[in-house]
Amino acid sequence: MLLARMSDNSNSPTELEGKVSVQQAGDQAKVFAARMRLQNALDQADALDAIREIAVNLIGTEEVAVFKIDKKRSELWLYWSFGADPNKHSVLEVCREPRLPEVLSGKPVFRSRFSAENLLSTDDPVSALVPILVDGSPAAVIVLFRLFPHKMGIEPVDKEICEVLSNCAGRAIEPYHSR
Amino acid sequence: MPKKVLLVDDSTTTLMMEEMILKQRTNYECVTAKDGLDAISRAVVETPDLILMDIVMPRMNGFEACKRMRQQASLRETPIILVTTCGEEEYVEAGFQSGCSDYITKPIDGFELVTLLQNYLGE
Repeated sequence: MLLARMSDNSNSPTELEGKVSVQQAGDQAKVFAARMRLQNALDQADALDAIREIAVNLIGTEEVAVFKIDKKRSELWLYWSFGADPNKHSVLEVCREPRLPEVLSGKPVFRSRFSAENLLSTDDPVSALVPILVDGSPAAVIVLFRLFPHKMGIEPVDKEICEVLSNCAGRAIEPYHSR
Repeated sequence: MPKKVLLVDDSTTTLMMEEMILKQRTNYECVTAKDGLDAISRAVVETPDLILMDIVMPRMNGFEACKRMRQQASLRETPIILVTTCGEEEYVEAGFQSGCSDYITKPIDGFELVTLLQNYLGE
């Protein structure tokens, strides 16, 4: 058992180069798979399921929610969630959440690996806030909560996947939004 | 003749990612199944050299599929690697109780996946 566990003794330049190359291929595969899954979503429900699949399998969290932005851009209403308590997170008020204005400007916000600061005023740790862009403007925000215990934090590839979510997940909130 | 790997997951995203990594970085042939039940019938027909299987799936989960595969003479010695969201001891132990050979945690790391499979199948 466990005979095939990788060791960390691969320190020669050639081995390191090989490791980086395989790592890059893996990261590219994740980003590609995320994009393909979202772009090929059959309908709104399938697009929401795609967000769940990407969060669980590619980023590493089983707690995710989507909040729609109201017309005045003063509140965000819970639209859909998976693994997160909907009663705890039904409304987010922009004036009470200092990180939300940045997200509403269209930029994802990530929790730093060693930061104690939470991204929202909630007991649950928030790992990322990702705007869903529709026609170039944020129409909703994906909240990624607690990461898997063995995952140390958001990594560069996760940020690339979040960019894909931001640009390709419009169908999840706009049923008739063209691809 | 290339080694054959059976990838089992109900997530098309995961299957696509795993298949892409293995096609780019190895010469293994990949076949896929969408749940535990489907995996058993595919494994009997395809006789893969290794099975990489998710645990949480509809119809039949990975633990049960692993147990049933071990009851098949043709699959008794086939390496089965379970893919788990949880690396905690109890969960891992449940995997080994079901007869798996090894495990890997989600989200799958490309280098870890390739290294693990190459250690069982060779390059």
